[in-house]
Amino acid sequence: MASIIWLILWILIIVSLVGLPLIFIILFYLPLPPVNGEVLTPYLFLSMMVDPTRTLPILHFIIHTDLFKVAVFPGFSFAALLAAVTIFVERKFLAKMQLRIGPLYCGKIEGILQLLADGLKLIAKEIIIPSGADKPIFWAAPIAFVATAAAVVALIPVAPGWVAADVNVGIIAVFAILGFFPLIALLFSWASNSKYPFIGGLRALHQMIAFEIPFFLSALSVVILSGSLNLTDIAKAQHPYWYIFFLPISAFVFFISSLAELERIPFDLPEAESEIVAGWLTETSGMIFGLIQLGSYVKVYALSALFVVLFLGGWAGPQIFPKELAHGPTAGLMGLLTLQGVYNGVTVNAIFWFTVKTLGIIMLMLLPRGISPRIRIDILLHTGWYKLIVLTFINMFIALALIYGGILGPGGLLTAH
Amino acid sequence: MEKNLEHQIDESEKLGMQIVKESEDDRLMTLSVGPQHPGSGHFRFTIKVDGDYVVHCDPDPGYVHRGEEKMCEYRNFIQNIPHLERPVIHDSANITYSYSLAVEELVGIQVPRRGQFIRAIASELDRQIYTLYWLAIYGIFLGHSTMFMWPTGDRELFIDLMDALSGARVTHAFNIPGGVRNDIPDGFKDKCLRHISYFEKRLKEYEDIFYTNPLFIQRTEGVGILTKEDAIGLGVTGSVLRASGVPYDIRKAEPYDVYNEIDFKVQYMKSGDSLARAYVPLLDMKESCHIMRQLLDKMPESGEVRAKLQPTPKGPPGEAYRRVESGRGALGYYIVSDGSPKPYRVKISVGSFRNMIALPHLLVGSKLADMPSVYWSLNYWPVEADR
Amino acid sequence: MTIATKISSSSAAGMIKAIESGSKHLVIKRFTLRYPEQKLKFIGDGYQFDPKRGVGIAGSRGRHILFHDKCTGCQLCAIACEGIAEAIGMVKVDEQWKHNKKSIMPQIDFGKCVFCGLCVDACPFYALYMTNDYELSSFTKEHLIYTPAQLAIKPKYDGNVELKIDNMGATHG
Repeated sequence: MASIIWLILWILIIVSLVGLPLIFIILFYLPLPPVNGEVLTPYLFLSMMVDPTRTLPILHFIIHTDLFKVAVFPGFSFAALLAAVTIFVERKFLAKMQLRIGPLYCGKIEGILQLLADGLKLIAKEIIIPSGADKPIFWAAPIAFVATAAAVVALIPVAPGWVAADVNVGIIAVFAILGFFPLIALLFSWASNSKYPFIGGLRALHQMIAFEIPFFLSALSVVILSGSLNLTDIAKAQHPYWYIFFLPISAFVFFISSLAELERIPFDLPEAESEIVAGWLTETSGMIFGLIQLGSYVKVYALSALFVVLFLGGWAGPQIFPKELAHGPTAGLMGLLTLQGVYNGVTVNAIFWFTVKTLGIIMLMLLPRGISPRIRIDILLHTGWYKLIVLTFINMFIALALIYGGILGPGGLLTAH
Repeated sequence: MEKNLEHQIDESEKLGMQIVKESEDDRLMTLSVGPQHPGSGHFRFTIKVDGDYVVHCDPDPGYVHRGEEKMCEYRNFIQNIPHLERPVIHDSANITYSYSLAVEELVGIQVPRRGQFIRAIASELDRQIYTLYWLAIYGIFLGHSTMFMWPTGDRELFIDLMDALSGARVTHAFNIPGGVRNDIPDGFKDKCLRHISYFEKRLKEYEDIFYTNPLFIQRTEGVGILTKEDAIGLGVTGSVLRASGVPYDIRKAEPYDVYNEIDFKVQYMKSGDSLARAYVPLLDMKESCHIMRQLLDKMPESGEVRAKLQPTPKGPPGEAYRRVESGRGALGYYIVSDGSPKPYRVKISVGSFRNMIALPHLLVGSKLADMPSVYWSLNYWPVEADR
Repeated sequence: MTIATKISSSSAAGMIKAIESGSKHLVIKRFTLRYPEQKLKFIGDGYQFDPKRGVGIAGSRGRHILFHDKCTGCQLCAIACEGIAEAIGMVKVDEQWKHNKKSIMPQIDFGKCVFCGLCVDACPFYALYMTNDYELSSFTKEHLIYTPAQLAIKPKYDGNVELKIDNMGATHG
C-alpha cells in the first residue's frame, strides 16, 4: 500500500518537473515544420494518426531532414548495418574457403545471430587500462576512430541527391579526413605504454602514410577525366561508360592502396599476430576493441563505396524498379499502399545498384584474406613508394591523352549530352 | 623516475634478486617473446632490437620440463612407454620406436618381420601427422590462415588411420619393446591407400596457394641462410640439415628394421634459407607416401607382430644407443641397464634441442619481421626439447 | 639423392594460381564433423587382448569393460597400472563367485587413467577389455571413479559417421 503511494508520488514529480516543461518547449519554442502547407501542430499530428493515409507527408518530411540523412540512411546506421553484414559474411566466406563451418550455433540458421552475441560479450567485458597509460587519449582514440570513419561515410553519395554532406570539394575532403587515421593509430599506441603497441603503431604510421600518395594520385586521374571534384558530379559524369574501362590501372592501384589503408591482409602488419602480439591493438579489451572493429569495418564500407563512386559509375544501372507505383496522383487507401509521395523509382533503383556494387567490391576485398600471407614492412614500403606511384603516373598520362584526343571531357566523342 | 628505479634496484638486491637494468643506450629495446605470446609456443626467448634489426637473441628453454629422463628410472621397460610418448603426443610412434630399438638391443629380443613392417608404417603415418601440424603453424605464423586450416583438416586423414590401427588418435602407445601391440584391422590397407592418393592431390593445392605464392616467396627467400659448413659445424639435424645441402637421412645412412629393403630418395635442397627449410618437409611428405605404398605392398601376409616376453623383461647389464629419423630430426636413446627390470639411466637426445642452437646464430642481424619465419622453420617443438 | 627443383614463377602467375586454388575450394564440400549431432563410427568393439597368443586385437581404446564371470581378483591389472597412472584400485564386491575367492575386483579412476591399455595386456583371464565409449565427462571427480558394477555395463554407442572421399572432396557424412 505504501509502495503504491510512493510510486504515484514519483510519477507526479517526474511529470511535473520534466514532462510538462518538455511539452511546453516543443509547443512554444521549437519551430514546427510545415507539412503540406500547414504547420504541424499537435492537433494535426493526432488527426493524422487517426487517418493513416495522412502520415505519408510526415514520412516524406522526415526522410528529407538532415538528421535522418546523417544518422540513418546514407549515414551511420546504413554503414553500420553493412559493416555488420560484412563481418558475418567474411567469417562464413573464409570458412567455406577453408573447408570448415564458420559460426553455427547462434541463431537457428547457420549462426546468423553470432554478431549480436559477440557485441553483448564485448559490452560485458572489463576494460583493463595498463598502468602508466595516458588515460584521456586511451579513451578518446577509439571514439575518434569511429567518428572519423563515420565522417568519411558522410561524404559519399548513394543516390542522386542523397548525400549527408554535399561538399563541392568532396574528394579532397575525403582524403583530408583519411589523413587522420595514422595519427589516431600512433596516439593510441603511444598511450598504451607498452613495447608491442609501440612497434605496431610505428608500423601503422609508415604503412598508411606510404599508401596515401598512390591513393590520391589514382583518384586524381578520375578527377582529370570528369573535370570536377564533387563526388555526385563524378558519379553522374560516368553516364555511358564507367571509368574502370578507361583507367584499369588506376582502379587496381586504388584497390591495393585501400587494402593497405584498411589494414587488411595482406597488409595487416600493424596487427601482426605472430610477431608483435596484436600490434597497436594489444591493450584494447572489451568495448574499446568493439569500437575499433566497428570503425574498421565502417571504413571498409566507406572505401568500397568510394571505389564504386569513382570507378564503377556510382548508382548507374538499368532501371528495374517501376518509376511510379500508380499512374497519376491517388489518395486514400490506394495512396497509402502505393507510397504516394515517398516512393521514387529512380532513387530506389539507384540505391539498389549502389548496394549491389558496393557489396561486390567488399567481397573482392575479402578474397585476399584467404589466399595470401602477410607482407613484410620493407617490401611494403618499397611497393608503396616506388611501384605504385609509377603506375599512377602512367595512368595519369592515359587520362590526359584521352582528354587531349577529344574522346572524353567536354565536347568529346563519348561524353553524354 | 630515476630515483624510483635506483631505489627498487637497491631494495631487490638486498632481498637477493637482481633486476635487469635497461641498457644505457636508449636505442635497444628488449622484447620478451615468451610463453604467453601467440608466436612462440611453449618457449621463451628474449631478443634485443635496434629499430627493426635484431642484435641479440637469448633462448631460454625449460618451461615445460617434466623430468622424463628421471621418471624412466622408476618404471620398468614396458611401463615407460606411456609417459615417454608424451613429449610429442602426435608423433608418438617415432619417439617410442627408438626406445623400443634400444631396449631390444639391451634385452636381446628379435622382432618378427610383420611387426617390423607395421612399426615402419606407423612411423611414416606419424611423420605425416607431425609435419602437417608443423606446416599449419608455419602458415599461421606468416599470417596465412587458410594454410592453417587445410593441413589441420587433412591431418584427420592420417589420424583416422592411426585411430583404426592403434585405438587412440594421439599418444598411440603402439610401439612396445618386442614389436607392436596389435595387428592391423580389416580393411586397413584399402583405406590407407585411398587416403594416401587423396592426400597426394591435396599436396598440389598446398603448392598452389602457399609455396608458389609470390608474397610467401618474398618473405622467405634469402632469409636466415644457414650455410653447409655452419649446419654441419653447429650440429643441426633433420630437415634443417637437408635444406642446407647435406643429403643425410638416418633411414638411409644407418637403416633400422626394414628400411634397407625400401627404395626411396633423400630429398634435399641447396639454398639453406627459410624457403628451403619450409619446402623440404613437403618433399619429405611426398616421399613418405611412396614409402608407405611400398611398405603396404611388401608386408608379409601373416605372421606374428609381437615377440613373446615376460611381463617385466630384463637383460644383462650393458648399454645401448639407437637413433631414428623422426619429424624433427635424429631422435636417439642411450639406455644403461644394470640387470634389473628398470633402466639405470636413460638419456634422450632430441632433434629440437639440437636445432635450437641455430636460432641465435640466424636471428642476429635479421629483421624483426623475419623472426617467426626463421624460428619456426628450424622445426623446433618446445615440449620435446624440454622433455 | 635428388635436388628438388627450385620454385620459380613470376609474381602474376603465382597470384593467379593462388586465387584459382582458393576459389576452387568454395565449391568443395565442408570437412567438419559436427560433433554432438554426428559421431564417428568405430569398427569393432574395442581393444582386446588375447593372452594365449600374446598379442592384442585392434580396436578403439575407450572406457573399460569388466566381465564379472571371468575376473579372479588376481590384481595383475592394478600392478601393471602402478607404474603408469595408479588408476586401478582393488575393492571388495558383494557378489560371490567361485573363481573369485577374495571377492575383489578392480575399480578404475578415469580422472587418472591415460587409456594406454596396458592393464588389458596384463589380464590373463580375458576379463578386462576396452570399449568404444569415450564420453565420460561428469560434474565431480568422485563420479569419475567407476566401481566394478559400473564397469560391467556394456556401453551404447551409436556413431555412424565416417570419412568419405569422393571427387568433390573429403567429408564426414
